[in-house]
Amino acid sequence: MNKVKKMVSTSELDPGFKSDVLTHPDARGLNACFSCGACSAGCPIHEVFPDYSPKKLAKMVRLGMKKEVLSSPYIWYCATCRNCVEHCPQNVKFFDILNVLKNMAAKEGYAPAAWIEQTKHVTETGIVFAKEDSWAKKREALSLRPLKKPGEKIRGIIKETGIGKIKPRVNSK
Amino acid sequence: MSKYALFLGCTTPVKVPQYELASRWVCKYFGIELIDVEEFTCCGINQVNLSIEAGLLMAAMNLALAEAKGLDILTLCAACTGALAEAIEKLKDETTRNSVNEKLRDVGLEYKGKTKVRHISRVLYEEIGTEKIKREIKKDLSALRVAPHYGCHYLRPKSAFGGFEEPDNPRTLHELILATGARLVEYETLNLCCGGKVFPVSGDLSRALVQKKLDNLADKEIDAMALQCQTCYLMYSDQQKEVNQKYDKEYNLPVILYPQLLGLALDADPVKNLGLNLHSISPEKILSKII
Repeated sequence: MNKVKKMVSTSELDPGFKSDVLTHPDARGLNACFSCGACSAGCPIHEVFPDYSPKKLAKMVRLGMKKEVLSSPYIWYCATCRNCVEHCPQNVKFFDILNVLKNMAAKEGYAPAAWIEQTKHVTETGIVFAKEDSWAKKREALSLRPLKKPGEKIRGIIKETGIGKIKPRVNSK
Repeated sequence: MSKYALFLGCTTPVKVPQYELASRWVCKYFGIELIDVEEFTCCGINQVNLSIEAGLLMAAMNLALAEAKGLDILTLCAACTGALAEAIEKLKDETTRNSVNEKLRDVGLEYKGKTKVRHISRVLYEEIGTEKIKREIKKDLSALRVAPHYGCHYLRPKSAFGGFEEPDNPRTLHELILATGARLVEYETLNLCCGGKVFPVSGDLSRALVQKKLDNLADKEIDAMALQCQTCYLMYSDQQKEVNQKYDKEYNLPVILYPQLLGLALDADPVKNLGLNLHSISPEKILSKII
């Protein structure tokens, strides 16, 4: 586990990081955070793995700890339940801020291979899984209609977004 | 008679086709017409990890495909429901919609904001209603003790569902279960997430969440957990064995998708109409208590 243990001196902080995050409309509430910890208190992942802490990550962004945040494997541990958003008294959307962080990390080559493979599969099968021969048989046995291959539309859409070019984290699990 | 474009999502049609089978059967029973849209794809929810814009564009493409047929969407997956509903909210903003439509135009589509999305449970609850469901029940399920599990994206973001449910105190699935005649079991970790969305990145974290809920339910003398999302289903059924191994437990909780439970109460064939033979945890305990 890649724990943030060492002290980070102010010279290593990136004062522009918070502003970069805030430029995304989904992240704008971050300035209103007063670190009450309601996000972490209601987070199911934090409960089973306390090192993952929305409150701590939000603070790290505000301090400008860009490298520590974007390279941290923890930012990929969100279960997407959105309790953090529903429980925040300041209407900070931590879940959405985390997605902005993940997008930034992906551009810097930190995305787990799992998410990149899923995108590849979508262009081939239309869904997040690679094709398996058993699918057709299983569906036929239930008299369900056969699945069609995805059309040009989805490939066009994926191409349009450029996400097909993102490279995975090298030591990705 | 209502009509919807059936949005299967990624997982149901290939990994949990019994959910699709039972949903089609229940919808047909109540006169809800389901139209298949061949070009529907993944809703885009997981692509948000790599690009928020890409996820939104994929959701918008699917919405536009339904809109081109003049249809609203009926979903089975909680996550697709949340992703599409949230996209509808975001696309109410004209600037966002215009920029998305500029890209959709390249593939011959446009989303004008007409198509809406509703989960099958919400359609059953709001359109058919629990009173009508109760009148149709043919079998006696009163010996069955059932615990509900909602699925996070069925409830959140609250803002995308127009106040339909109070995420911390949801009721629709409770009432839908009661409408079948089954007994409802309340429990403390009702709102605990199944961990399905972290599973591709960390199986251990997701299983830790599954274990917590199974542990909470272990002493409640429950016959089945009823769910309304195939990802939650896979986490609590197929991962149950893994959890037993990892945590040295012997949980043996049957898991059933709501349309299957309703189908049983309506006297559907458990195998032919509901695909209960495909469950990894035997539903025998459920079937033996139905009269």
